[in-house]
Amino acid sequence: MTASSHPVIRKGLFTPNPLAVEVGVSALVFARHPSRLMTPALGSCLGISLWDPSMRTGVLAHVMLPAPSDGTPGTSAKYVEFAVPEMVRLMLEAGSFKHRLVAKIAGGAAMFSRESLVASIGVRNVEEAKRQLAHAQVPLVAEDTGQAHARTIELALDTGILLVHSHRFGTREL
Amino acid sequence: MRPQALTELQLDALREVGSIGAGHAATALSQLVDRPVGLQVPTIEVIDLSAVPYVFGGPAQVVCAVYARLMGDIGGGILFLATEEAALSLVDLLRGHEKGTTKLLDVDEEDMLLRGTSILISAYLAAIARMADLNVMSAAPVLAFDMAGAILAAVAAEVDMLAEQAVFVSTAFLDENHSVDAALFFLPDPGSLETILGRLGMA
Repeated sequence: MTASSHPVIRKGLFTPNPLAVEVGVSALVFARHPSRLMTPALGSCLGISLWDPSMRTGVLAHVMLPAPSDGTPGTSAKYVEFAVPEMVRLMLEAGSFKHRLVAKIAGGAAMFSRESLVASIGVRNVEEAKRQLAHAQVPLVAEDTGQAHARTIELALDTGILLVHSHRFGTREL
Repeated sequence: MRPQALTELQLDALREVGSIGAGHAATALSQLVDRPVGLQVPTIEVIDLSAVPYVFGGPAQVVCAVYARLMGDIGGGILFLATEEAALSLVDLLRGHEKGTTKLLDVDEEDMLLRGTSILISAYLAAIARMADLNVMSAAPVLAFDMAGAILAAVAAEVDMLAEQAVFVSTAFLDENHSVDAALFFLPDPGSLETILGRLGMA
C-alpha cells in the first residue's frame, strides 16, 4: 500500500491530540485507549506500530537503525532488530493474542537530495522491519515509507488509524 | 574524551579555529558574489546532539540543512542549519537582491544555498586542516528542507551516533543590507576531536 492511495484529510500544521503520549527517538511505548501514541519527525527513522483491535491497546516504536553495526545483539529500541520482538512481547504480556495483532509502518525516507550513503538507512530500516514482522508472524496491513520527506505519526487505539503528517503533503490516514 | 569535558583553553582553541574559518569564508563568499560579504565573529558552544533540533524550535520545526560527511584524518560530519526565512534571505544576499525578493526554494535556489554553504564548510575545514596540520576533506554536501528532528536523526544514523555532542558554531552572514543567522554543527567522532585538540597542543 502506498501513500498516494490515501487522501489528504488536512493541510497545514499538525497538532497532536492532547491525549497522545509522545514516543521519543530510540524509544517504544505501550498504551491503551483512550490514550493515543505519537512520535514526531521521522526521517530515515521508522515508526512501527502494533495494534490489538479487541483490547484497543497498542505499542509504537521510533527506531533509528536496522541493527547494531558491530553485529552484537541490540538491547535498545534504537534498533529494529530489538524493537519488533520487544513490542510483540509487551503486547502479549498485556493480554493480547498474537493472531489479533496488526502492524503499520511509516518513515524510512531519504532526507537529503543527491545523497548516497544516507539514503540507504531508511530503505534498510523498512526492509528489516518487514523481515522482523514476518518472523514474528504479525501482518503488515499498511505502510507509508520511503520518498524524501519527514513524517510525524499518531496512532488511535480505538480505530487503529495511523495519522501520517508531512510538511509537504499535510495529514493522511493510514 | 567527551567534548563536554573541554576546558576553557580548549574552547578558546576551537574559537580561534572558528574565527579563522569565518574569515576564510567571508573572503571566498565575497569572491563568489563579487561584493563584500562578511561573517559575524562566531560564538562557539558544545551541546548535546539531542539538543540540536531545539536550537531552531524543536524536532517538528522545518529547517534548511546542508550536510557533508568528513573524511581524511578525522571522521564525523558537518551540518549547516538555517530557518526557512534565513535560507530565503541568504539566497537574496548571495544574489544581491533586496531582502524578501526570494519567496520559494526551487532548484536554482537550492543550488545557490549549496554553493554558499559549501564555501562556509570548506572554509572551516581549511582552518581546521591548517591549524591542526591535518588532512581533512568533505564529501559533496547534500541539502534537505524538512523537520529538524528528522534531519538530525538521519545524520546521527549516518555517523551511527558516534558523535554524542556537537560543536555549535553560531554566526551570521552580513552585507550592507542583510544579516542572516546561520548555524554550523561540527560532529566529530570522539577520537577525531581528540586528534584535533592534540594537534592544537591542547589535549
